[in-house]
Amino acid sequence: MLDLITKLLSSPRIFSYTVLWMIVLVFFGTLAQKDIGLYASQMKYFSSYYFTVGGFIPVPGGRSVLLLMTINLAFSLFKKNLWKMKKVGIIIVHVGGLLLLLGGGITAQFSSEGNMVISEGETINYVDDYFDMELVFVNTSLQDSLEYTVFDEPLLENGTKIIYDELNLQIDIIDHIKNVRIEQRISTADTIYKGFLNEFILLPKKPEKEATQNRPGIVIKLSGLNNSQDGIYGIFLGQKTPDTFQINGNLFFIEFRRKRTYIPFSINLLDFEKVMHPGTNVAKSYSSEINLIEDAISRRILIKMNEPLRHAGYTFYQASFVDGLDKETSVLAAVKNYGRLFPYISSIIMSIGLLIHLLIHLPKMLERRSNTI
Amino acid sequence: MRNYLICILLCISTQLLGFGIGDIPIQDEGRIKPLDTFARNHLLAFYGKRTLTNINLSATDWLLDLILNPKSGRDQKIFNIRNPEVASSLFLVWTSEHKYSFNEIAPGLREQASLISVIDQKNNEDRSIFEKQLFELSKNILRFEELSYLKAIKLIPPSNGSENSEWFSPFDFIVKRVPSDNNQNEILSSIQLYLAGRMSKDEAQMDSALYNYETALASFVDQDINIPVLEKESWMNKARLFQMSLGFYLAAFVFLAFSWMIKPILLNKLSYVLLALGTLVHGYAILVRMYIMGRPPVTTLYESVIFVSFIIVLLSIVLERFRRDGLGVFVGSVSGAILHFIGFSYASDGDTLGMLVAVLNSNFWLATHVTTITIGYGASLMAGLVGHLYLIFLVKKEKNETVLNSIFKNLFGITLIALFFTLFGTILGGIWADQSWGRFWGWDPKENGALLIVLWQLMMIHMRLSGLAKPAEFALGMGLNNIIVALAWFGVNLLQVGLHSYGFDDGVARNLYVFIVLELFFCLGLYFFQKYKVKINLA
Repeated sequence: MLDLITKLLSSPRIFSYTVLWMIVLVFFGTLAQKDIGLYASQMKYFSSYYFTVGGFIPVPGGRSVLLLMTINLAFSLFKKNLWKMKKVGIIIVHVGGLLLLLGGGITAQFSSEGNMVISEGETINYVDDYFDMELVFVNTSLQDSLEYTVFDEPLLENGTKIIYDELNLQIDIIDHIKNVRIEQRISTADTIYKGFLNEFILLPKKPEKEATQNRPGIVIKLSGLNNSQDGIYGIFLGQKTPDTFQINGNLFFIEFRRKRTYIPFSINLLDFEKVMHPGTNVAKSYSSEINLIEDAISRRILIKMNEPLRHAGYTFYQASFVDGLDKETSVLAAVKNYGRLFPYISSIIMSIGLLIHLLIHLPKMLERRSNTI
Repeated sequence: MRNYLICILLCISTQLLGFGIGDIPIQDEGRIKPLDTFARNHLLAFYGKRTLTNINLSATDWLLDLILNPKSGRDQKIFNIRNPEVASSLFLVWTSEHKYSFNEIAPGLREQASLISVIDQKNNEDRSIFEKQLFELSKNILRFEELSYLKAIKLIPPSNGSENSEWFSPFDFIVKRVPSDNNQNEILSSIQLYLAGRMSKDEAQMDSALYNYETALASFVDQDINIPVLEKESWMNKARLFQMSLGFYLAAFVFLAFSWMIKPILLNKLSYVLLALGTLVHGYAILVRMYIMGRPPVTTLYESVIFVSFIIVLLSIVLERFRRDGLGVFVGSVSGAILHFIGFSYASDGDTLGMLVAVLNSNFWLATHVTTITIGYGASLMAGLVGHLYLIFLVKKEKNETVLNSIFKNLFGITLIALFFTLFGTILGGIWADQSWGRFWGWDPKENGALLIVLWQLMMIHMRLSGLAKPAEFALGMGLNNIIVALAWFGVNLLQVGLHSYGFDDGVARNLYVFIVLELFFCLGLYFFQKYKVKINLA
């Protein structure tokens, strides 16, 4: 029985079929990027276990295919007729391939990435998620401005009620808006609308192709404060003047922002520099001069394109920038990836294996006719 | 490495002439280039060719004549208008040669000033073909005017500045009165002396002016002015090395074709030698380009075409060495020549030695990832071509088992080589991405394209080994692999998403579709034809 299972799971035909399906996925997943953008297509075709075609037919997604491929590859190493001297190159290649797939799995499961957006002169100790949002109440009256995260992704459904005991508040989720459009009110608002919503309304807008360009917003109802403060608030990403409320004389900001992960050190941007090829609009290089501040000790570091900073398991890359009137803003991509060494090791192993195989077999393959005939 | 390269270049290259007017450095489009290249690129933009073929005038001479005598230069018919709509909008009579002079075009453009400023406001994607061409023409006319009074010719280095600072044109000093120092004055007076000498046809004066010029250049130590490199570039402009290698490939093919009729052994050898000579010139030209730019062989789409064709010809020579029956020469000469023509069509877009955006500006990764993956494209195409050959032989003379078997073994071997480079190149690309922006794999179209090639080759190899595919099916699969290579190489640019989409126009899309249809027709046609034939024989 065990033999049969091994034989079945190690069949090279499984590989042929899974790889064929992977080709189909990659092809359509790439074409789809033109319409739905890179992120959405990646989620649908590659980062999923299954997805549906035509609305109801489920088909395997990238993760299940790669998982099956990994199992197949692992079992194929147990085949007896593989372990021969002249197949040593083949064995090495397959071990390398297995490592590559395992590393991919580890990365997919455990890595995290996000952005650090820092203006010149600013100091920041957190990483913003690319996509996930969070709703936060910040007590600004305390010295270290205590933050209360109400909830983060997955976002709660419209109509959900949350009793937030710590502040003795009830929060009703009225509407999530993936991408908001802001319109000024024409007539005077009902008194139930507080803060920003007093003068404006938040309306949904067609989501952008690139998910990061959306401006998400949320409409919530707060109760449990007092009559003048209870009501409906509308908050959105990048709001200039935050909506506020007071409890016992403490001033709270309401923020709907990219989910933050705090890191055990902070980064202070001294200067962002962009060098152009002379006389053109083509950038030659970008760099951020920063202070890395940890335990009150600061260290000067230059992060350049292709030359990231690696520190405490995180890697910071020069990803982008925002031009400002008086100062520039640098965008660093911050990545924590436990699987990052796998491709390095497996590529070395695989190329050694293929080289050995080629060296053993290639001379025979290029001859015009074999000598035995 | 650099010294080694220089040594090779100096050994092979023909004797260089002294510092000429075509070699004087000009800062243009972000790099220091010789006047000769500068003039050629402008003439290419205006006229459509790099020399004035109708009156047999070199680009440098045209530019100098224009500077010395702008009045008659403005009457020279050097603007190529390809679109009758553009011509009529400028009140021009559409002629068969459709070349017009500055003086003919300028009044019409002035009439259309408001239309042009409207076009200027639009994004390039939103402009119609007519608008694009009219806008381009108006920019060319402006540029022409700037050339004629030496405004756009930035030939004077800044007196104290880094290699990233902008150079000055004589116009800046003479008209705008930018203060100049002694070295800059020396450059200015030398160029004036040269032009005066050219006016009076005084060779001695021109020579001494150039001598002064070269000496004056040496005093700008902060600048990256390398006169041997400039001389090499203007030499390469004239030498037309790729035309030469194309000539060799075509000749190799002709001799090979004759060898099928007469004197097979002698002509076969001769075609082999011609192919090898072509490869030498081809490889040398790539080396010279690397020397000029100080960077690895492949940085743009144009260079990838040139390099892929080099890899295919190189592999063909290896194949021919083992087989000695002309098949290698056949594959090498045909595909080498075709890819040369594709390369020329890219070269006609402008300067083929352009500057790179920041993320690509890394010699290490260009040398490793880009070179490896491009070798992989070349080897994959080579495998595809041998796959075609196998199918042809299958149809032509299926009796001859030994030839078929040997071609199949070649095919399998080359597929393994291709897999080695595409697989390793793709992983290296991931490692570059990991080094540069922190993710090994992002499902970007270009990454997916390379992955498709790897997966396809893995699938074919495993299908063959597991018995799902017989040699004929394997050959068919590898023949169709060409389509995937073409899609990964050119097709992903059509999607215009992601980091890798650079340079693309509608012509590419059409050619790509034609190629795909032809390949499908050819491979599937041959495959099913032989299958059908086999069945008849059995019956």
